[in-house]
Amino acid sequence: MPAGVILVKGAWSSSAGTAIPLPEDGAVANGKYGNAYFGLEYAFGSDWTQRYEGPPPSESGYYVLAQIEPGTEAQSLGQGHVLIAAQDLFFTRNPAHDALELIHHYQEHLGVEYRVQRPPSKVRVANRDFVRFDYLSRAAGLQWHVLATQIRCHVVLFTFTGSDTQITRRLIDSIGTMPQAPGGAPVCIKDYANAETVTEREDPVLAAPRFNPVPVRIVIDTEGRVKHIHFLSAFPDQAKSIADALSQWRFKPLIVGGHPAEVETGLMFGRPPRPSTSALH
Amino acid sequence: MKKLVALALLLFPAVLVFPRLALSQTDPGVRPGPVNGQIGATQGNPLPLASVNSNNPAGVLDFFDNGLGRFQEEESVSGGADKGLGPRFNFNSCSGCHAQPAVGGSSPADNPQFQVITQGIASGSTNRLPSFITAHGPTLEARFPFFTSSSGAPNRNAPNGGVEGLFTVSGRPDAGSCNLQQPDFRHAQQTNNIIFRIPTPTFGAGLIEFIDDSTLLANQEAQTANNFGVGGAFNRNGNDGTIARFGWKAQNKSLLIFAGEAYNVEMGITNELFAQERPLPEEEQGSGLPANCLNLAGRGYPEDATNFNVASNPDQAAQNAQVPADVVLLAEFMRLLAPPVPSTLAPGGSQSISNGFALFKAVGCATCHTPAVKSTQPSNITASLGNATVRAFSDFEIHHMGSGLADNVSQGGAGGDQFRSAPLWGLGQRIFFLHDGRATNLLAAIAAHRSNGSEATQVEENFSSLSRGQQQDVLNFLRSL
Repeated sequence: MPAGVILVKGAWSSSAGTAIPLPEDGAVANGKYGNAYFGLEYAFGSDWTQRYEGPPPSESGYYVLAQIEPGTEAQSLGQGHVLIAAQDLFFTRNPAHDALELIHHYQEHLGVEYRVQRPPSKVRVANRDFVRFDYLSRAAGLQWHVLATQIRCHVVLFTFTGSDTQITRRLIDSIGTMPQAPGGAPVCIKDYANAETVTEREDPVLAAPRFNPVPVRIVIDTEGRVKHIHFLSAFPDQAKSIADALSQWRFKPLIVGGHPAEVETGLMFGRPPRPSTSALH
Repeated sequence: MKKLVALALLLFPAVLVFPRLALSQTDPGVRPGPVNGQIGATQGNPLPLASVNSNNPAGVLDFFDNGLGRFQEEESVSGGADKGLGPRFNFNSCSGCHAQPAVGGSSPADNPQFQVITQGIASGSTNRLPSFITAHGPTLEARFPFFTSSSGAPNRNAPNGGVEGLFTVSGRPDAGSCNLQQPDFRHAQQTNNIIFRIPTPTFGAGLIEFIDDSTLLANQEAQTANNFGVGGAFNRNGNDGTIARFGWKAQNKSLLIFAGEAYNVEMGITNELFAQERPLPEEEQGSGLPANCLNLAGRGYPEDATNFNVASNPDQAAQNAQVPADVVLLAEFMRLLAPPVPSTLAPGGSQSISNGFALFKAVGCATCHTPAVKSTQPSNITASLGNATVRAFSDFEIHHMGSGLADNVSQGGAGGDQFRSAPLWGLGQRIFFLHDGRATNLLAAIAAHRSNGSEATQVEENFSSLSRGQQQDVLNFLRSL
């Protein structure tokens, strides 16, 4: 048996249908992080790398896309690191509808051990809209600089952590060199699957009561069929049942500018998510 | 100047002898002083919750004391009053393994399993001490993640994960003709198809049991807004969907289930929750246990049952406490155990501990190791269990801990790399860390949080970004718990 390999997986991510890039499919190579799903290419420099991959997506749609740090352990002390993460706005537990609301929510939940240096504010970098939020811990001597942008109903978060402001500034400035994302992505619409749009549906039969939420992101083609299914977190038996059922669903095609368009939306199976207490307030 | 020279001369020999003392942060080791930080506690007599100690409600202290006694009982196979051991077992008492720093705790410094054959608990003619059981290593249970194929190789399509009893009762004078072989641990080691677990400490376990799900869910929602790459999920009980919270993977819903399962799996004692003798997973696939290894205690099943006839006792409460089955009293004992009391001074002094706590939170450790959860639900058992703040340093969620810690054992909703955020209260007096006790040094335990697929990599990197002095403060804080 190989050592250090995760062979027995619990609820995990998977996909079915037409193979298209997944949010978690990005990769680090040659000093760059590239992600076809988000249309991102972030060049951070060849002397930095990813030593450890992140965990699978969470059941609330949180992704650790990349963890970038100096190339060697010896270099790493004090130089900081970069976390590229994403929060799916379909499944988030936060009562947020966009990047600004999400970052405000982060600020509201910031512990007393941190001091805000720069409250959440909109900035424009590399022809993209970002929300920037900076804070620090005096005790730890660490600063956090967050740049968040919204792509395909996700908030993509670049978090720069470190104590060396010069290095951090260089890494942040590198964001400015990101090329524009290519177009052509499906239109993303929260809760698109509803009584108005679904014309045929077959509910999946989930055999075992596992009580876990199963967030599913689907792409509906221009003829109203489910062409791609992304299970953010599902046991294999759950994924199979849901995929079998979704293959029978039909939607009214979305018309944009007089033409049918592909739609990306989210569905929650299994245990319904608990309403956010913040939202209730 | 003279003072400076004198100070340098004073420190010089120390630096020569302990160069890391001057250069590096070090785990201060097991904190000396009162057991569990509790004045009056001893290794054999851990303290109960305050209201239990004051016998509120009347009689509860008798139940605690009775449970403590049963927790320490050494079981035989068929002789005497305390019987039912085996046919397979890991040890013959609860307190043998749950021993550090007191009864109810975790693995002690001297491993009692190492003495199982020399002390006649298992026969040396039919048992061999597994090589991974060492004199000063952790007390262990072993599991094989996969069944083997006909070639003897682990079969990845056949997950196992059940506990493989280390010893058999075969050859003991009180075990009749039962003749069982130990699992083939050597082969499992050769094929890398074996993982280990150490005992989880149970101090304060009743408070954990009494946290309402809504409290845990609210904490989860608050922690979702983190910039540390941390997700998390709850392991839910398959029967009713509520949050399970005991065991390394939060696979057990209640202390009663925890006790009942351990009694059967670790000691081979059937009880009112697990009424059948447990074969090994591979035996279960075949014909089960042979007939001559069943009902060895000779009184039918379950071997541990409610005591319907107890001797009358002028002390009514003491008499009442004799009625329940062992598992009920074992669970009650754990439920009523007081949580450890952290030190405000040692090690390193109050300023270092205070700094360490601030750093612990700042770098993100507290995202999963939630310092305090408020509050427990009202208690119908004893006052101290209700409306209490649980300072366990855990969110009781399961988190992906990556390939470095993965044991490829699935339990409930937890996959092979998911583990409950281990409660850190009492850490100051623990010897072995992580689910398999691989670390005896906190720095090694912290470093193990970083690997491919781990939710804790960012936090570990933040910890590594701290200066040595700051890291020392964190270590001092952890050892103050």
